[in-house]
Amino acid sequence: MSYKIPMGPYHPALEEPYKLDMICEGETVIDAKLHIGFNFRGIEHLAETRNYIQVIALMERVCGICSNIHTLTLCQALEGLTGQTPPPRAQYIRVIMAELERLHSHVLWAGIASKLMGFKTMFMTCFEIREKIMDVLAAISGNRVNYSMNRIGGVNRDIDDPAAILAMIEQLETEMMRTVIPIFTTSSTARSRCAGIGVLNEEKAISCGVVGPTARASGLGQDLRRAAPYAAYSELDFEVPVEKAGDVRARLFVRALEIIESCRILHQALTKLPPGEISTGDEKFKFITGTATSRVEAPRGEVMYSVSWKEGSRNPARVHVRTPTFANMPAVRWMVMGARLADTPLIQASIDPCYSCTDR
Amino acid sequence: MTQLLDTLPQKLGSTEAWAERGGVHWLDPGNLSVRELCLQMIAARARFVTITAYQLPKDEGIRMEYHWDLMGTLLGFPFQLRSEPGENPKIESIFDLTEAVDWIEREIHEEYKVDFTGRDYEPLLMREGDKLGVNLREIADICKPETGTPGQEEVKK
Repeated sequence: MSYKIPMGPYHPALEEPYKLDMICEGETVIDAKLHIGFNFRGIEHLAETRNYIQVIALMERVCGICSNIHTLTLCQALEGLTGQTPPPRAQYIRVIMAELERLHSHVLWAGIASKLMGFKTMFMTCFEIREKIMDVLAAISGNRVNYSMNRIGGVNRDIDDPAAILAMIEQLETEMMRTVIPIFTTSSTARSRCAGIGVLNEEKAISCGVVGPTARASGLGQDLRRAAPYAAYSELDFEVPVEKAGDVRARLFVRALEIIESCRILHQALTKLPPGEISTGDEKFKFITGTATSRVEAPRGEVMYSVSWKEGSRNPARVHVRTPTFANMPAVRWMVMGARLADTPLIQASIDPCYSCTDR
Repeated sequence: MTQLLDTLPQKLGSTEAWAERGGVHWLDPGNLSVRELCLQMIAARARFVTITAYQLPKDEGIRMEYHWDLMGTLLGFPFQLRSEPGENPKIESIFDLTEAVDWIEREIHEEYKVDFTGRDYEPLLMREGDKLGVNLREIADICKPETGTPGQEEVKK
């Protein structure tokens, strides 16, 4: 006999509200249905009532973890409509912020995954490291969460002492290489808990259109930093980690390797930080009529903004946001099918879901 | 990659070339249906990204932009949907061809009252008692007269 077990909308395994209705036979999940929209905020509509300064502040609040990525993507789209090209130093600072945010996001996720694995000590370690990453972000931007770094035509704040930031990152890297990376790549605890569960094979990953580490853990080597470079990524050397197994362990592994790559990018960006201005200096912008689209590789995958503007208007006519969790979440249904009920909290968490982004 | 991009318009039955605008390679699909386009995109191993809907001014209807990624190049195919007063705009669903469109079709159905034919719906963001189109369509009619979405011809410039 089959029976339905709901996970959510409020559940210890979920950081934000959503609901996974699972149809089970015994302890095995045979099908699942996802429900979102519990915190839907109508941000896309709200954006249509904000001017170009206000809309940047608004879109920074789409997500609490990758707030910088949202303003970066939006500003790149707005630059397309205003003909602005940020100076090279601003492009490098954008990369530095984006990679610090990736570190922040991956380490935060590692902590949550550890908790769901029953590895509470690791949870504490990850959150301690996360605090230090936020210290670096605060040292650059003055803020721990919403950094307010991006503006049309550049960034708002400079990095006055790149060597000091580099020293903080080197210290962080040493700490992560000692704790997070070995635990997630070689530890038998992580391997035995995560291997072979929540499998999303390559074919299904293509058909579901998944993005980011979820796609890369299923054998798809897609990464916009490499395929369609933005900011200063085309001038930096890095690898795109890809795993073929498609299980939770592969997602863990890909993120661990991405932490190493992010540190590598940060080293290069801070060392090569070019001199010069951090923005075009323009305060008022003339928008052309049309639509501009921008895509960025966020920690969870591809973010896309389409912005439509009519010349002479104060506000955008339309701001459409496609977030990575919106693309990844439907695939959870396939990941949990056939899984043991006890594994489902970890499986759903393995895509690093962000419902704040999805319920934008 | 460039060769693949160059030959795609011909495969899609278009005599036009790609128009690069606002970060997207645009191609007018002409008489091609959205389902035929989807099949061609899948054959070219393109990845579905999203659909962006816009309510056009006056009686121009709804513009639907289908975005696909071809090895890092973002492709855009605009479709314009017109409907009789009181009727919902309609377009064929491609959910059975690529399941990646499921949530975005449901979202556009709820936000813009667009019917994707040939599929069943379950509510995505709507709750009991909600009305279709309230979020981005009907409210937009009331509070956007001064801004307005650029019309189909204006966007093409």
